[in-house]
Amino acid sequence: MPREEDREFFRIFSKPDPEVSEEHAPTRIKARVYSTLIREQQKTGHLQSISEIEAKGHSLCVFEKLVEITPVGEKTKSRFFCWTCHARVAAENIEKAPIFWPGCPYADFQKP
Amino acid sequence: MGQQEQMLEEAGPNSADDVKLVADVLSKDRKATAEFVSRYADCVYSYVRRRVMPNSAAADDLIQEIFLAAWKNLGGYRADAPLRHWLLGIARHKVDDYYRKRLYEVDWPEGDDELVQEPMVIPRFEEQLDSISRDQRIHRVLAGLPEAYSLALLWRYVESRSLREMAQLTGKTEKAMERLLARAREHFRRSWIHAA
Repeated sequence: MPREEDREFFRIFSKPDPEVSEEHAPTRIKARVYSTLIREQQKTGHLQSISEIEAKGHSLCVFEKLVEITPVGEKTKSRFFCWTCHARVAAENIEKAPIFWPGCPYADFQKP
Repeated sequence: MGQQEQMLEEAGPNSADDVKLVADVLSKDRKATAEFVSRYADCVYSYVRRRVMPNSAAADDLIQEIFLAAWKNLGGYRADAPLRHWLLGIARHKVDDYYRKRLYEVDWPEGDDELVQEPMVIPRFEEQLDSISRDQRIHRVLAGLPEAYSLALLWRYVESRSLREMAQLTGKTEKAMERLLARAREHFRRSWIHAA
């Protein structure tokens, strides 16, 4: 292989390391990856309950907060409530979806 | 000493956040899982996108696969490297798999070897354009090439794989890979000039 030609192509395709010049992942990709990971986690048992999560200091979204104060068992509080939420659907399908719920991971993905 | 404390001691202070995050994700804490995605999706995306351009659908699928593989292997993370490097290690394997499978599946254009014999002036690419315009042009040129050509160019010149490695991983001969790459370079060069 002609070495000069090879070197020329290495030059054209060279770029700073991704750690130096990092692009932002589309927000819909982050949303989809998150939903996929949660679904995978559910395959091997319950998610951590929202009571435990709140006890660690994480903020809950308004819907999770409602469930948290409802007198139901930990098993119910371990469900993935986002599954039925419009914010998840919007975030997975619309880039920079207009969702602003505090404590909602899908809304947090929209932040720059 | 618990497993988390032992990992922290071995990893040093800079990895403390990573170790805690990994422990929280493994305990299926949904907020930690969101933080995991939020913190590392950008670096994984940058790494993958550059290597599979212009195929953005492939990039989307690969990013999902990389995070899924990370989740499945997270219990084995020992914090001897930053979590970011560990994830990019998984990304590298997935990208290699992608090149290997696609180069095996797609048709390799044949019958234009005479193109390679023609003497041509090699344009000094990097002197002509700023880096943003150059990236856009590379993207455009690769999008117009047969997939086998763009895959070969990216695998060789972005991933720095040798011809021997590429041949071994795709089950082709080194000579066949060399011919493919020569044609790919020639088509890239011609398209580059026309894209000006």
